Amino acid sequence: MPEPIPHAQPAPRGTGDVILRVENVTRIYGAVTALRDVTVEIRRGDIHGLLGENGAGKSTLVGIISGQRSPSSGRIVMDGRELDHVDVRSMEEAGVFLVTQEPMIIDSMTAAENLLLGIWPNRGGFVNWKTLHAQARRMVEGTGIDPMALAGKLDAVTRRKLNILRAMFSGGRVIILDEPTAALTVADRRQLFDFMRRLKAEGVTFIFISHYNDEILEICDAVSVLRDGRLAGGSDDVGSLTSERLTELVLGRGLALFQRERRDHTGVAPAVSLRNVRARDVDIAALDIAPGEVVGFTGLPGAGAKELAKAVFGLNHGSGSLSLGGVAQSLPASPAEAIAAGIAYLSDDRRREGSVGQMSIGANISLSSLGDRSRAGFIDRAAESGVVQHYFKAMGIKAPTPDYAVDTLSGGNQQKVCLGRVLATKPRLLIVDEPTRGIDIGVKQDVLAIIDALSREGVAVIIVSTDTDELVRAVDRVCIFEHGRVRETLFGNEITVERVRATVQA
Amino acid sequence: MNEGTLTAATPAAPAKTGPSPLLGWLLHNVVWIWLVALVIFFGAFNEYFLTLFNLQNVLVQATVLGMLALAISLPLLVAEIDLSIPASAGFSAAIGVLAYSSLGLPWLPAMLCGVGAATAIGFFNGLCITRLRMVSLIETLAMMIILQGALLAITQGKTLTTMADGYTWIGQAAFFGGWPVMPLVFLAALIAMGVMLRRTVLGRSIYAVGGNPVASNSAGIRVDRIKIAAFTISGFLAGVAGYLLASWQMAVTSNQGSSYLLYAIAAPIIGGVSVFGGRGNAVGVLGGVLLLTVIQVGLAIISVPSFYVGMIGGVMIFIAVAIDAFRVRYFG
Repeated sequence: MPEPIPHAQPAPRGTGDVILRVENVTRIYGAVTALRDVTVEIRRGDIHGLLGENGAGKSTLVGIISGQRSPSSGRIVMDGRELDHVDVRSMEEAGVFLVTQEPMIIDSMTAAENLLLGIWPNRGGFVNWKTLHAQARRMVEGTGIDPMALAGKLDAVTRRKLNILRAMFSGGRVIILDEPTAALTVADRRQLFDFMRRLKAEGVTFIFISHYNDEILEICDAVSVLRDGRLAGGSDDVGSLTSERLTELVLGRGLALFQRERRDHTGVAPAVSLRNVRARDVDIAALDIAPGEVVGFTGLPGAGAKELAKAVFGLNHGSGSLSLGGVAQSLPASPAEAIAAGIAYLSDDRRREGSVGQMSIGANISLSSLGDRSRAGFIDRAAESGVVQHYFKAMGIKAPTPDYAVDTLSGGNQQKVCLGRVLATKPRLLIVDEPTRGIDIGVKQDVLAIIDALSREGVAVIIVSTDTDELVRAVDRVCIFEHGRVRETLFGNEITVERVRATVQA
Repeated sequence: MNEGTLTAATPAAPAKTGPSPLLGWLLHNVVWIWLVALVIFFGAFNEYFLTLFNLQNVLVQATVLGMLALAISLPLLVAEIDLSIPASAGFSAAIGVLAYSSLGLPWLPAMLCGVGAATAIGFFNGLCITRLRMVSLIETLAMMIILQGALLAITQGKTLTTMADGYTWIGQAAFFGGWPVMPLVFLAALIAMGVMLRRTVLGRSIYAVGGNPVASNSAGIRVDRIKIAAFTISGFLAGVAGYLLASWQMAVTSNQGSSYLLYAIAAPIIGGVSVFGGRGNAVGVLGGVLLLTVIQVGLAIISVPSFYVGMIGGVMIFIAVAIDAFRVRYFG
């Protein structure tokens, strides 16, 4: 649905020359045009944001810039020189490096070895450790990274920094960061941004891909927005943009952000009661949730919000009692027991814990509730197909049929499959952990609306989230965790972004 | 996956992907195309190859390999491996024969003792791999060596040939027209396995556990139990394979079964069972088994000097695997 949107054409400005120019690039896959006549200019020393929904053409564009894919037509000009034979090697020689979401890190090696991965200084095949460590020390100077630390023991942000450093010291002048903030905490994100600013001051140019408007507004100098394979707009002056305007460019329309009608549940008999729940990083004396109530769990990492959710679902070992609808029982020992008790859980780690990628959408949707749709161990195919069709439609999964492999879907659609699987168990308590992480802003609203609708049917819901903006719009109550306990609970009008943030950080 | 080559049922676990339908179809059915090509090739070389008698011979030859291949595919589907299957077949057959000849049990309970032993071994392997978190490759390698040693010990290096007529019946009997009975057991096992994988909760769980054990656990599947079930069924099939082999050869040698190991692993993989778990089906295993059997029988019939048989057979398997790797790479 192409709508006329006033294009803010990326006009070359006086300050900062253009280091990389993508000119009229089109990429066609069979019948699909993934990119249509896209022109983008990246100025030297900028952090250039690239924004767009999944499927808008971001990956294709990044693939072309990094040399993984070749354009069907159009040119790529680097430093005023046209690159005609484009592959990864020639792009890296030209100074363009892609740092992917999954850090290319070998856990069993030290940071130093990883930094010089594949180019270890050697003589006749024997690694020269002295030179290697000296070089590595020079590379990490001032970054606070210990070059001798085992990479597997490093945190997410340091691992990402290692990749960026490696790209930079391999001669990278334009470094593409594909969603570098995914799975980072607020503090880590800040640390990463400081690190990027430092490298930027040393003359590195970044192309920064993100789903989050606030990140783009915070760190980027310029931005280009893709929509349906076309350049929907862009700006050389991010300071003049607002989050609403960015969303409009991304979606091609204004976005009504989801807002739950908050409800008061005081005095209602609880649907879920937790008593004396102890687990690693969790120490909860009592916590009740009313039927139909949506409770937000938040806090710093390790404060206990996520850990409690996992313990209640039987993923982390814990002790204590849980009563659902008045029937008290001990905490489930496994997810299988939890599901049998009427608890459903949506993991924050979609790729690892969410779905079986090579199985079909349908097989994934029915996976957790096959027991209810079988007789003597044999799957009742009619019942299964019924539930699959229902959730395939209800979740609005974008695929021709439920027979497609989950692997072929975008992140947002994979999340909808997971949600469908979880809802098909007809839970009485739904726990969702970072339900909208890494998915499109449009799909986010869908997911929140689905959760909201479920709560209206009387399901108690726990949303574990560090995305405060989203949390305040989706819940009736916020529990802020610290040292495994609920330090503070906010109700009704107390729930504002500022208040929640201030309480978490306090 | 090799989908619906013989059975036209809708795919259970698998999924549609990929471009270029014709090439995709050819590659998806490469085992069967390769099989037909070899049958024509061998038939053109030697007219005896296409006779009814030889077809019956191929079926008999395929039976034991087929049972072992089915047994090995279950651990593969849950992303584990069981190298002790052929050794278990040999060992359990010796138990079954000795229970008759030495303990004086009637042949049927004696045979069931053997099959039961193999089933218990499979169950034990499953326990070690799940509860004790032993690595299946090494655990079952150790089990293989133990069982081979145990077979040698209980046979004292001799070949056991004292068998009841009832015991050897299945391996020798033929219907009207010379059609052997033994392949029917394989056919039944193949159908049962196909139905189990496609239609049952267990089958679906096996695919899920092999595809992504962490997600399966979160989805409420008891991953350890599924793996133990896969190993136990696999052990049972190994026991039946051992019985059939002993009955057919009317003997249990002191290294019975061991020569099947590599072929029994190769057949399911050629037939599309992924060594990384979660992919493969019964029909594919049948294809792999028939392909290997046809190569073996065919090379013998066109009187390739025996010095070259191993090498040429190896090259043919290599080609099949290479084509399959190409398919996986470009068509998922």
